[in-house]
Amino acid sequence: MPITILPPRSSRPINSNNNSRLPQEDASSSEESDSDSGGGVDLDGDVPMRPRQQVRTTFQARPPPRDLASAVVTPGEVITDDPQWMRGHGTYVAPQTTAIVSSVAGTVTRTNKLLSVRPLRARYTPEVGDLVVGRVVEVQARRWRVDVGSTQLAALPLSAINLPGGILRKRTETDELQIRTFFAEGDLVVAEVQQLFGDGGAVLHTRSLKYGKLRNGVFVAVSGMGGGGGVVRSRRQVWTMDAANGGGQVDVVLGVNGYVWISKHVETPEAEATAAGGSITNMEESLSATVYSSQNDRIEVETMREIARLRGVVMALVENGLRVDEEMVIKGYHEAVEMAMVSPEGPDDIYLGGEKGQQLAAALTGA
Amino acid sequence: MASSQHVLLSPAELAYLHASLSLTPPIRPDGRSPTQFRPLVAETGILPGTNGSARICFADGTEAIVGVKAEVERTAQRPGEETVFLEEGGGGDGDGDDDDDEEGETGAQGDRRKGEASWVEMTVEIPGLRDDDSGTAFLSAMLSEALLADGEFVKRLWINRRFHWKLYLDIILISPPLSYPLPLLSLTTHLALLSTRLPRLKSEGDEDPFFDDDWAAAPYLFPRSSSSSATAATNTTATKQPATATRPPITLLVMAFGNNIIFDPSKEELAVADVALAVSVTSSNSSSNSSGDGENDEAASAGGRSLRLLSIRTIDPPSRLTPPGVPNAANAAYGAAAALGTQKMLEARTAETEAVEGVWRAPRGGAKRMVLGALVQKTLERGGVVDEVLDALEGVDLG
Repeated sequence: MPITILPPRSSRPINSNNNSRLPQEDASSSEESDSDSGGGVDLDGDVPMRPRQQVRTTFQARPPPRDLASAVVTPGEVITDDPQWMRGHGTYVAPQTTAIVSSVAGTVTRTNKLLSVRPLRARYTPEVGDLVVGRVVEVQARRWRVDVGSTQLAALPLSAINLPGGILRKRTETDELQIRTFFAEGDLVVAEVQQLFGDGGAVLHTRSLKYGKLRNGVFVAVSGMGGGGGVVRSRRQVWTMDAANGGGQVDVVLGVNGYVWISKHVETPEAEATAAGGSITNMEESLSATVYSSQNDRIEVETMREIARLRGVVMALVENGLRVDEEMVIKGYHEAVEMAMVSPEGPDDIYLGGEKGQQLAAALTGA
Repeated sequence: MASSQHVLLSPAELAYLHASLSLTPPIRPDGRSPTQFRPLVAETGILPGTNGSARICFADGTEAIVGVKAEVERTAQRPGEETVFLEEGGGGDGDGDDDDDEEGETGAQGDRRKGEASWVEMTVEIPGLRDDDSGTAFLSAMLSEALLADGEFVKRLWINRRFHWKLYLDIILISPPLSYPLPLLSLTTHLALLSTRLPRLKSEGDEDPFFDDDWAAAPYLFPRSSSSSATAATNTTATKQPATATRPPITLLVMAFGNNIIFDPSKEELAVADVALAVSVTSSNSSSNSSGDGENDEAASAGGRSLRLLSIRTIDPPSRLTPPGVPNAANAAYGAAAALGTQKMLEARTAETEAVEGVWRAPRGGAKRMVLGALVQKTLERGGVVDEVLDALEGVDLG
């Protein structure tokens, strides 16, 4: 079946009197507009601006009911007038008032006395120490500008990378001239946020063997933060897992910014050295030869298939509003492998879009 | 023509995509089979003020809306047509019609209806792109070309000798173009045209057109195959048409990658394509096919549908603009000793001329004729992708 066409899901009405449009109504409304004097179009989708404050006044007296906690608020909407609540993220208190007003469109969440609004979608806000995956979009004289899905491009200075040559050294003019041999436009890097500017811009560094250029895999951009789905900050953002069906080992890098990298695991001599108990300083000195390589290793078909399956799992998680972290991805992957086992196409069936993704999400949330 | 989308991918990503797509069968990044489309959500009749409208939404969030508006317009009269006008006394069967009508052999009664390309006006709007951007203009040209290519569509807009319908198609992409939006826009236009209804004509002959107020009685511009006989009986324009269930054209994006042919490529896949084609296909269930347009007619499938090729356009895949990867042999930052010895220089030279495994190289040279032929053949295959897509679109409930 090359194409599946689904009927639109009926969206949950935000207001109770938000009339749902049926095909019959369409015909009749056009008919009416013929006989109408104005001949204009009925604005069916127009949501009547019922004062929602009344809902809030009942809300003031008592703690927010459960259904209100999941209600969507818009920027400028008063969440509560009651001074007993504290304002959290996504809210503000206008001067000379006590009302907590939402500053973003999102859902209200309550933690004890703290009211915050989780945005439906938001750009990544960098924090020091975050592991991010970014794409170099611009090369400047002594730094790269990296897209990390934030409001601004992050900066990666030439002095914040491990320069080749075997020893830790300062950058030289030669390095400045051949800056594109390290990272060029389009290259993907995994890095850490080292420093923040006052305006929210981030400075990255790759001064660790864990960081550097990415190869041997695929990239997925999912929305970070908000909406329930997307990558969340967790204990481990990078891990190596065993793939099913003889796929070998696969690395997964979940950037906190929502950029995900799934690749074949390659043993580096340094990793072996650490396993053997080499010291940190030695490791830093013997910089991996392949850090700035853009040549892929040979990748087996089975590995490619499992990488594509993992990518499908991540996409299915995001499309169904589930969080993306190590636990969910691994659980989802095993579920996907089992789903493929029982599917008519056999274990080679890696497609996880549409209904299959919903099936997967249902299995994950049900379990 | 340029697909006007510059995707920024790293050489390592491109090389990986290249490797996985050139396998047999190819492994697509989203796990689809080569002929599989992205699942989509479709509905029609969403704009009450239009004659027909549709909305299609892909799972990745790309969404398009198409609205079709029709208005009656006076046909520009040309000298020389007046003689035929006098001859036209009686009803609608038109026996004495023997003027320079090139379509005479298709229908038994002879088709007096004529159409002009200017009766259809199409505008495409892509967020973030100017109206006169080359990409937008090219998309609009491709979509309208598919509609106007065989001249059959505009004939449906004919009311009488003096009046015709003027059709305005407004195609709006709501989301930013995450992938090349041609298939999405084409499918949405197809659905909108399927759901388009024009008021029933009450007047006869060449008098000023007068229409039925009853919208429920308005016939579809493209009569459905099941109800076509019922509407044709009441519709004066439809009686002149043999009872065929012709469908509006669809334009599909097909991409070739080595020997693999891939339908509905995503942005990443298009970024490594060797060749990308926009193939416009229409279908008609007419029993008397293959007499008219000869070689383009493909024999009907089991359902009695015959596919007809309307137009082909090559799309310039962005792959040709991608920077090549640097093989390790030529990489100055590779290896512990970053100094270039003579040995390394030699290796670097061979690496520049020969393909190295795992290193991306943009495709060079033009499309091979064999590949183009295979692409078209695969598209027009009996019971193939186009058939299933048309079936699926027909299954959408028309509002």
